[in-house]
Order: sequence, then structure tokens, then C-alpha cells
Amino acid sequence: MSISPGTPDVTPPGDPAESRIGVDSWVAESAGRRARGRGPAGLLARGWEWSPDSLKLLVFVGLASTLPFWLNEGDLFNFGLFTLLYVALALGLNVVVGFTGLLDLGFVAYLGIGAYTYALLSSSHYGIHWPAEATIPISMAVAAIPGLILGSTSRRLEGDYYAIVTLFFLQAFGAFTNTANPTLFGKGLTGGPNGIPNLDPLTFFGYELNSTKQQYFFLLLVVAVVAGALHFINQSRTGRAWRALREDPLAAEVMSIPVYRLKVLSSGLGAAIAGLCGAIFAATFTAVTAGSFGVALLILLYAMIILGGLGSIAGVILGGFVINISSQFLAPQNDHPDVKRWLFYGTIVLIVALMKPWYRAVLVLAGTIAFGYAVHAIVSATTAATWTSGAPVAAGSRSISQVIQGFVVMPHATATGAHGNFNTWLYVGLVVAAVVVRSLSGWWRLVGLVPTLYLTAMVWENILAQNPSVTALILFGAMLIALMTVRPQGLLGSARVEIV
Amino acid sequence: MHLLLFNVIDQIRSLGWSGAFELLRNGIVLGSLYSLIALGYTMIYGILKLLNFAHGDVYMVGAFLGFGVLTAFGGALNPGIGLVPLILIMFAVAMLGSGVLGVGIERFAYRPLRNAPRIAPLIAALGVSFFLENSAQLMTNGFQYNYDAFQLGGKNGNFGPLFNTVFSVAGSPVTVVQVLVVGSAVTLMAALIFLVSRTRLGKAMRATAFDQEAASMMGIDTDRIISSTFFIASVLAGAAGVMYGLYIGTTFYFMGFLAGLKAFTAAVVGGIGSIVGAMVAGVLVGLVESFAIGYVGGQWSDIVVFGILIGFMILRPTGLFGAQAIQKV
Amino acid sequence: MAEPQPLPEQPQLQPKALLELEGVWKSFGGLVVIDNLDLVVNENEIVSVIGPNGAGKTTLFNLITGIYPPDSGAIRLDGESLVGLPPHKIARRGAARTFQTLRLFLNMTVLENVMASQYGQTKVGIARAMLRTPGMRREEREIRARAEEKLAFFGERLMGYRWNQPAYSLSYANRRRLEIARAMATEPRILLLDEPAAGMNPSETHEITELIGKLRDDGGYTILVIEHDMHVVEGISDRVVALDHGVKIAEGTFEAVATNPRVVEAYLGTSAAVTK
Repeated sequence: MSISPGTPDVTPPGDPAESRIGVDSWVAESAGRRARGRGPAGLLARGWEWSPDSLKLLVFVGLASTLPFWLNEGDLFNFGLFTLLYVALALGLNVVVGFTGLLDLGFVAYLGIGAYTYALLSSSHYGIHWPAEATIPISMAVAAIPGLILGSTSRRLEGDYYAIVTLFFLQAFGAFTNTANPTLFGKGLTGGPNGIPNLDPLTFFGYELNSTKQQYFFLLLVVAVVAGALHFINQSRTGRAWRALREDPLAAEVMSIPVYRLKVLSSGLGAAIAGLCGAIFAATFTAVTAGSFGVALLILLYAMIILGGLGSIAGVILGGFVINISSQFLAPQNDHPDVKRWLFYGTIVLIVALMKPWYRAVLVLAGTIAFGYAVHAIVSATTAATWTSGAPVAAGSRSISQVIQGFVVMPHATATGAHGNFNTWLYVGLVVAAVVVRSLSGWWRLVGLVPTLYLTAMVWENILAQNPSVTALILFGAMLIALMTVRPQGLLGSARVEIV
Repeated sequence: MHLLLFNVIDQIRSLGWSGAFELLRNGIVLGSLYSLIALGYTMIYGILKLLNFAHGDVYMVGAFLGFGVLTAFGGALNPGIGLVPLILIMFAVAMLGSGVLGVGIERFAYRPLRNAPRIAPLIAALGVSFFLENSAQLMTNGFQYNYDAFQLGGKNGNFGPLFNTVFSVAGSPVTVVQVLVVGSAVTLMAALIFLVSRTRLGKAMRATAFDQEAASMMGIDTDRIISSTFFIASVLAGAAGVMYGLYIGTTFYFMGFLAGLKAFTAAVVGGIGSIVGAMVAGVLVGLVESFAIGYVGGQWSDIVVFGILIGFMILRPTGLFGAQAIQKV
Repeated sequence: MAEPQPLPEQPQLQPKALLELEGVWKSFGGLVVIDNLDLVVNENEIVSVIGPNGAGKTTLFNLITGIYPPDSGAIRLDGESLVGLPPHKIARRGAARTFQTLRLFLNMTVLENVMASQYGQTKVGIARAMLRTPGMRREEREIRARAEEKLAFFGERLMGYRWNQPAYSLSYANRRRLEIARAMATEPRILLLDEPAAGMNPSETHEITELIGKLRDDGGYTILVIEHDMHVVEGISDRVVALDHGVKIAEGTFEAVATNPRVVEAYLGTSAAVTK
């Protein structure tokens, strides 16, 4: 380190452990210390902070590579392969939204473009069967082109406007693949709503990845490489420049950072990663259909990066796991019909348990249980039997069924028909109750929480559990709202200060 | 591209003047719906600088509320009351319900985020939109429901008066419901202009949109004004929902998404924050869509419409009437 | 590149002009903000721009740094025109500024703020960053060393534990210092300081006055500064330029400008003219 003439001697930055109570540096660090907290959670947080990033990645890859040995083929596909694919995609989206702060709502279209490129070049649709070592780079390049073009509109469009233009692009892409389907070389280019079936599996230099296990390990490699590369970029001058322009584009520009070029770069890089995922997506599903690349997937990806924490690579990976695994359990067909119920009630109990002090949580939970049995008893005593004779959906063991049936008021299907829009009113009632409870405070909130929680259980058993896939989407929507109010930085992101 | 152009010219020839008028008529009717929704976007954007993604879904809820009233009175075939009171009640319930919904959304999703980073309310808005859409899907089982408005007011399964011809231009009829839609849209917009330009509330709204902090220092309860803005915006969207139901007929849970997108673009084209701009641009977007369907053909029309809208947003993000803003440093 | 070059000690008969403005005009929708302005800043000189609020001082900085293009006129840095260049290229040519309103990268650390602004002089692209090549690591070390060196200019103020604190945790005076450090890290030839002493207490103001002198003497920067505090202006300026309504009304030593009747009138007259 060289020091210009005339500057005073410089002491090296002090070791944080050396700083003393009351000294400037101690005061400056106290907020961070408080945020970490005490007890096991604090220990975990400190361990997380101290462990180097390479170790984190290694632990993740190590844990993830054990999955194939204790999951069956179907579960590995749904919980392993799917999650990794989403994680890779979310990592790409994180470059655009998290690193650079461009709100790109057309991101899923790049995935689609990559997938269709793979489908056209490796299937019997046009009789082209190129190997993956050729099609994957081509898919990435083809997907990057619209990424670069859309990114270049960011010179004139900011924030919401950029969001809406990219969303238009997604809609136009959907219309193009689904309805336009122009004829090329005697065939519909995109296959319309039916898409393109019978794609080749990933084949590298003659080696076919046929089994789910092979594909899983390949994807794990892809995720590790992408995460590592993005981590390195994030720590380089480019990553710093992205962060700077996200903070203040004008100041960044004046500080010699070519803002516009870097935005285009980030959009193109994100799109290329999406193109890579698209090719892998197409190959592992052996088909592409126009319906796969819509707003629902987009929201799912946003839920992942926001839950994990915008800009945090580890957060994105965590968010991808949480969101995909919960949405897989909520998928209409899966081998674990009971798990979604446990997840749902578990999450609710966990949220209630976070209340401080602890006895409030106990009061609310106990109150809800008592309230439920009381309501059930009153309803069954005063109304016809059809009101309480409904059966819970797919409760695995008999005892759980009985517990639920004795606790939740569940009208028999014939009764709901007879009583008109029972379900609609129940659902609207829950939303209204949640809104009312939020606006209460102190003990009143606790009192209001008891019937609201019971109503939640009722809505879950009567409505949501019957339509788990729609439920997943509703819950992700609600999660986005709740997260923004409670913890906008997500699980692993750092809180940001912004002058509005 | 060349071929497409020839097709378009052929199509223009074969449809003739009568066809052109029909497209113009459809565009104006559709456009007045877009105008009503766009007004909401422009008012909310003007006051909170928030792209309220959920606004299109409020419109969807309005359409379903109208349908709910229709069903509660026995459906289009056999309503228990006369045609005029029925339509009035449908409008009243849908507008009020949407208004309350809009206020609720603002109060619980956006108000806690007043001082949050810019991206937070936008993501919350995405969340609200997604929540409403899928809740509606759950409630309606994902089915489409039809107002069957052509039967409204008809006795014993006969057609009602809504689709009777009022007058014809170049052999193309203009029906009662089309006049009704455009007429009520114009009435609502006139009322809105009066409200914004002539009343105390309107003055407070303009002040809050201009500078929220200064407005609150001048003794304006800005939270209340923002709530009122959401109420009015959502009332207009609810009315548009019922009009859509009466005119087109089919309501389904996803209808708000595309309509909202197009209406937001109309708000941008008109210059965000400009009420007259949103009205004019809403009709323009309707016309573009209608002519694209007529001349380009259904399968490409969406792509053409989105292409035009993307082009416009890029070339003139400040809108038709908006001035280039000076960057403050 | 890594080390700041001490200025070559050469006897100069004619001071060399570094920044030249010739006949610069700028108006916003009919309101003329900069009116046919000529301005020369010589190498290794400290020039202060004074003038009442709305005189066009910050606009002048915005024109030089390329945030707005001038309507007409020439702006040259070391003989090369800056007109029409985007701001990041102007920064690369050697004009760096601070902001009156403070525009730090608030959620980045102190060190990162100063590292980020070296983007223009560094080269490693994303391909080499992904692979973490030796060249990339070397450049990264250089960036860090240069950032530490710039921060060391401010004595103990921005040292030690503060390096890894987010910029939003800094005090107001330290934020101003960090803005200067960040501008210095672009390796400029001319530093444009927009009210560096605004909002500071007397002892901090005194410190910043000394610092500006040190920036010129030790750092070798040419400095154009906007300042309202006349003690600071008096303490640092080789030359003072007074603006009013975009017109240069006086130029010369501090004493000459401060006693110039037009300047006195501009300041005293404003209270009547601006209250609308």
C-alpha cells in the first residue's frame, strides 16, 4: 500500500474482536451484533457469517449429491431435479433483478426461447438431431439475443415501465408460440398449443443422460458452476458496478460506470442462463409446450428470489428449495398426500410460535383448539348432520382423519351444494378476518387471532386442500405481500436503506 | 412480413367501409372500457407512483360481482325484477364492492410500504394481483361464466332489448348495449373530471399527487386522500367490469390480467397522471386492438398490439401529451 | 497506473489551461440558466464559483460532467471537447465531481464505494472474473490498494473499522469526505466539488478548507469548487468566479470579487428578486 506524501500514518483496520465497549468502532458494530441475536440462532448466524463462501457451496453440493441415494426416481425428479432447475433459473433472474435492479417480467420467455431452440435442434420435428454440446450453447446464445434487445430498452425505460414492456414481451412470446405458430419448412414452427414432443435426451459427445439420476447430477454441476461463476462476478468490478448502479444510476454514471452497457450485459447474462435452463428443461421433459412459460412460473421464480433475499446467491438457492418443495407437495398428484397438511399446519404453528412473549403463542394455540371443539360441538348439536359429516381429503391415517373431522366443521358435499356459496363466503370471511386482525392491536389481536386461525383450518380443509395447485399460487401471492411488509430483504438478504 | 402486408391489404378491401365502421365501433366500445380502467392506473400512479398490477383484477372482481347480482336475482333468463333496476343494482353492487376492495388493498398491502424501497410495493402489487386472480379461480373453479345479456329483459327465452339496433352506419348496426357502455363510460368520466377539477377532494388529490409531503404539511390527510383515490379508481374499474359482462358476456378469473396490461399502457400513452390523456389513449388502444383483429387476423393480433405498445413505450415513455421531464440532480 | 504520479516540476511561464468553457448556453424550456459563459481553469489551480441560489452553479457542473448537453458552446478538457460524451466517458477523461445532495451508494461499504468508482480505469470483464484469473486477482488487489490510499487522505476519519461499514452509517461530514474520496478514485485531473462544506460545523468547515488545499498540493488535483461559505472561499481560492442568472458577473481574486459592486448587488438584490 502506498501513501501519498503528507498523509498521516495509517493504522491497519482494527480486528473487530479488539474493539472495546464504548469505542467508536464498538458502537458502530453494535447494530450488527444485536441483529445476530443470542442463543442457538445467533450462533448459527455467526457461523454462517464466518464460514467462507466456498465452504458453503461445498456443503450444499455435498448434501445435494446424497439425494439420489435416499429418494426414489419419481421423488428425485419432482423434488431434486425440479428444484435444481428452478434454482438455476432463479440464479439467472437474480442477476437481472437482484444484482442490477431491473424488474424484468419477461424472464420466463428467455427460458421458453432456450427450450424451443433445443426442441427444434434436437428432435424429429425437423429431423435435426444435434448433440447437446452444440445445442446448449446455441440455446444460450439465442435466448441472450432478446435479453440484450430488451435490456437495451432500459436506456429509455425505468422501473415500472421496463417491467411492463418486458411483460408485454412475455405475452407476445406466448401468443407467438401458442396461436401464431408460423409455418416454416412445411411445419408449424412451435407446434402451437401441442408444442413439440419427442425430444432427444441430453447427449454429450455420444454419452446420453437418460436416467433421472444422471440428469440430476448434471444439473447439480450446472447449478454449482453457475452459482460459483455468479459469485465471482458479483465480487468483481462488474458486480460492484451493478450494485452501484442499482443504488444510484446517475451517480454511478458520473463515477465512470457505463450504466447502460452494464444493464444490457446483466439482462443478456440472465437471459443466457435462462436459455441454458430452457435447453435442460426441454431435454429432461422430452417435450415443450406453449403453456409452460407463463406468468405463473414467473411469479414462482420471483417468490424464490424474494423469499431468499434479492441479490444473495445463497438466499436464492434456499428460496428455490423452499418454494419448489412446498409447491411440489401441493401438486395435485403426488405420493405424499398427507405432507401438505402437515406443512400447512406446521407453518401456521411456526408463525404463531414466533410471537413474543412465548405464553401468548401458547394461549393462542390452546385457545384455537378449544374454540374449534366448542364450535364443532355447537354446530353438530344444532344443525343437520350433513353440516359436520364431510371427510377430509386424502388424510392418510385414520386417526388424523378423525381428529380433523372432530375439530373442523366440514359440511358434506351435498350440504355445500344445498347451502349455496358456503365455500365462497367462508373464504371471503377468512380474508376479511385476516384483514381485521391485522388492524387490531394488543390483546384484541390475540382474541381475534383465535377465530381467524380456526377459520383458516376450516378454509384449508374445506377449500384449499381440495385444490392444492391453485392454493399454492394463492399462498405464494400472499407470501409476497406479507414478506414485503414484514421482511422485504427475505431470509438471507441484507436490509437496505433507501432515501425515498 | 411481405406476405402479411398483402394479407392486410386484401383484408381491408374485402371488409369494405361497412367492415371498417364495425371495427371502428368495436374499437370505441372496447376502448371506453380500457379508458375506465386506465383512469384508475393513471390516478393511482399519479398519487403513489405505483404501478398497481392488481387494478386489472379489481375489474375482474367487478365483473364477477355483477354476475353474482344477476344470479342472485334469478339469472338472465328469469330475473325477478325489471331490466333497468336490475342493471342499476348490478352497477351499484359491483362499483361499491370493487371500491371497498380497492381501499382494502391499499390499506393492507401498500400503506405499510409507504417508506419502503421502490421495488417493494411493486412486488406487493404483483402478489396482490396473483392472490386475487387465483382466489377467483378457486371460487369459480376456473370456469367461465356468461352474463347471457342478450336474453336480459326478454320474456320466455326471447331476446331482450340490449342487443337491438339503435341506428346503423353504412349498413352496420349499433346496438343498445354499445350505446349504454359508451354512454355510461362518458358519464362516469365527466363525473370524474368534475370531481377532480371542481371539488375540495379533487383539489386535495391533485395536491397530494403533486407533492405528498408538502400536502400533508398543508393539513391534508394524505392517507385519507390516497384511500379515496383507490376507492374512485376501483369504482371505475368495477363499472367497467359490469359493462364488459353486459357487452361481451364472458367473465373468467384471468380476464383482468390482459385488460389491465393494455389499460396500463393506455395510461402511459396518455401521459401518466393525465386524466384526459388516459381517456383518449384508452380509446386509441381499443381501436388498435380492434383494427388489428379485423385486418391482421386473430392469431397475430395480440403480437401486433403488443408490438405497437412496446414500440410506443420505448419511443415515447412520457406519453402523447406528456412533456420530457427534466432530471433533477 | 496504480501509483499517483507526482506532478512534473516544470517551470511554466504561461499557466496551462486544463478546463475551458467557451460561449456555453443552456436553457430549460425558455429559461436561460447558463448564459454565454466563458470559463478557464488552469492546471493545478483552485477556482471557486460563487453566486446566489439559482445562479446556475450546479447546472454548470452538470454541463461539464455531461449530465445535460449544452445548447451551444464548447467545453474542453486539456484541449479535447467533452460535448456530447456520456458522463462515464467524461469521468474517464478526467473530470470527477461530488454532489451537493450527496449521492453515495448508501448500501455499499465505505471501501466498496471507492472501489466501485474505479470501474473506468480497470479492464477485467466478466469472463475473466468468472474464472478468477491471476490477472483479475492482481487488478482486484490494485483496486483495493488504490481505494485504501484515497481513504487515507482523510486521516483517521475514514479508516480502520469504517472501511467495512455501510455508507449509510456514516455521519454527514464523513459522507461528504467519502464523496470526495470516491471522486478521487476515478483518477481525475480536475475535481468538481459541489458545496463541500455545506451542513458542516465550524471545525469541520475548517478541516475541509485545509483538505482542499492539501488535495491540490499533495494530490496534484486541479479543483473547481462551488461554495457558499465565504470563509472557505477566501481560504482556498486562487481565483473566484461569480455567477448570477447564468451570467459571469465578476472574476478575479477573492478580494476583488467580494468587493465588486455587481456581486454585492446580486447577493443583496436576490432577497427581493427571488421571493415570488
